[in-house]
Amino acid sequence: MIAKPALSRLGPGSIPARAGIGLRAEHYDAVLESRPPVGWLEVHSENYFGAGGKPLDYLERIRAHYPLSLHGVGLSIGSTDPLDRWHLSKLKALIRRFEPALVSEHLSWGSVGGRHFNDLLPLPYTEEALYHVVARVAQVQDQLGRPLLIENPSSYLQYVESTIPEWEFLTELAERTGCGVLLDVNNIYVSARNHSFDADTYLRAIPRHVVQEIHLAGFTVKCFEDGEILIDSHNQPVWPAVWALYRRAIQRFSPVPTLIEWDTDLPELTVLVDEAQRADAILEERHAQAA
Amino acid sequence: MPRLRELQLGFAAALLDGDAGGFDRHIRASGLSGARRLQVYRHNTLLGLTGALEAVYPVVRRLVGEEFFRYAAAQYIARHPSRSGDLHEFGEHFPLFLQSFPPTAELVYLPDVARLEWAYHQVFHAARHPPLDLTTLAQIPAERQGELHFQLHPAACLLESAFPILRIWQVNQDDDTGDPPVDLAEGGVQLLIIRHENLDIEFQALADGEFSLLHALAGNSDFTTACEQAMAAQPTLDLPACFHRHVLQGVLVDFFLPNC
Repeated sequence: MIAKPALSRLGPGSIPARAGIGLRAEHYDAVLESRPPVGWLEVHSENYFGAGGKPLDYLERIRAHYPLSLHGVGLSIGSTDPLDRWHLSKLKALIRRFEPALVSEHLSWGSVGGRHFNDLLPLPYTEEALYHVVARVAQVQDQLGRPLLIENPSSYLQYVESTIPEWEFLTELAERTGCGVLLDVNNIYVSARNHSFDADTYLRAIPRHVVQEIHLAGFTVKCFEDGEILIDSHNQPVWPAVWALYRRAIQRFSPVPTLIEWDTDLPELTVLVDEAQRADAILEERHAQAA
Repeated sequence: MPRLRELQLGFAAALLDGDAGGFDRHIRASGLSGARRLQVYRHNTLLGLTGALEAVYPVVRRLVGEEFFRYAAAQYIARHPSRSGDLHEFGEHFPLFLQSFPPTAELVYLPDVARLEWAYHQVFHAARHPPLDLTTLAQIPAERQGELHFQLHPAACLLESAFPILRIWQVNQDDDTGDPPVDLAEGGVQLLIIRHENLDIEFQALADGEFSLLHALAGNSDFTTACEQAMAAQPTLDLPACFHRHVLQGVLVDFFLPNC
């Protein structure tokens, strides 16, 4: 496929250390018409696995104006089922067509025995699981011919069998495979609250050089008779405590491309752009310190 | 210690099959119970898969109501689990499922409405295709034209129903402005669903002959056979006009001569 001039101009490696927003179908026209002042856009890769039609058509038009990141939710990297080659081939074709600067997936699994849950299910953090995920990430990077970013998920349970803290597991994975880390600061906050660990311990344990992208989103608090749990719901603004944690993350990791994720109960595009500008202000402060 | 695979299979069983086989012994107890924590994942998974069905089947959802749709979706998910990490592939068997789902047995038209929505979903995501090459077609010698096979646009779909599913679909759109209610006695419909160059999708209710022609060609009949079937279905059909219309509007996009 011949790259269009606009695409080559925004080739790989070009995502600025600014805030971007998740692009959803409901905002296609608004993005094209208003060209919001955000640094870049991220889409869920699988939403563009179709052979043709409006999603791909819109993405092509929008891609001409913004750097792009492809964020996968369905590869099921942590699964013990064989890697889905069909899925991988579609991702590869998408990468060839849209030349994203970043390609990411999750530290999770979503299928076993041929059944898919289309959800980000937690892995036990054991030596065996680490060995498995290292091999899988290496395999995917090999197939795609490029490094992946791996994101820490929100989790609602911990396995009795886990022996390694998540931050060590993620760091080891990055060190052994050369993959980058997509650090979801909201997910750190959610998991820290759900499992009573210190979110700053997590931040301090992640080496500075591996973090290449940050995610921010809103969570929901769900109350039961026996307690409450935080759910990574992506349906509201970023919480103040998460903004505070983000500020500390940026102190540690320096400015990193930061995404505002909002997937359900989508508001007007301007609400996302306002959230992105809030992240931009924090990035600017850090840029100013460094100068 | 269970190996990763056993743990995943156990988790899956606990998630989908409502397995009470004590998987929560693998979950660290702190505050909320293991069962409660599993319940969060079960809920999220169900929500995600139900949402995918709702996105493909909004008219079915409107016809049966939100609450019943969620109930039907849960039953469907248990019987026909997702087989792909791409949610757009999920829901293919929903029309067939509805057909044998006792609670909706009285809504005889419902499975066909679901078929229409699945067809729309397929057409929406189908590949582009350039129009038929008329110059090359004109070079086929007249005596061999009857042997031609034609290919429909990847974003074209034919659907036949004994019920007025197009009208049902239309009056259940969000922007519908109060069309008269549908009477099942209006009878069935033979539909062409076609996505145009500008990516807009159109439904065309076809007469018997026109539908027979396209249906035969889509089923890989040669041109002579397809024409015979069309004329048998509708002796008054203006066959050349009908054929040209479907070439010009991009329904028929390619052709080949066998053994050539």
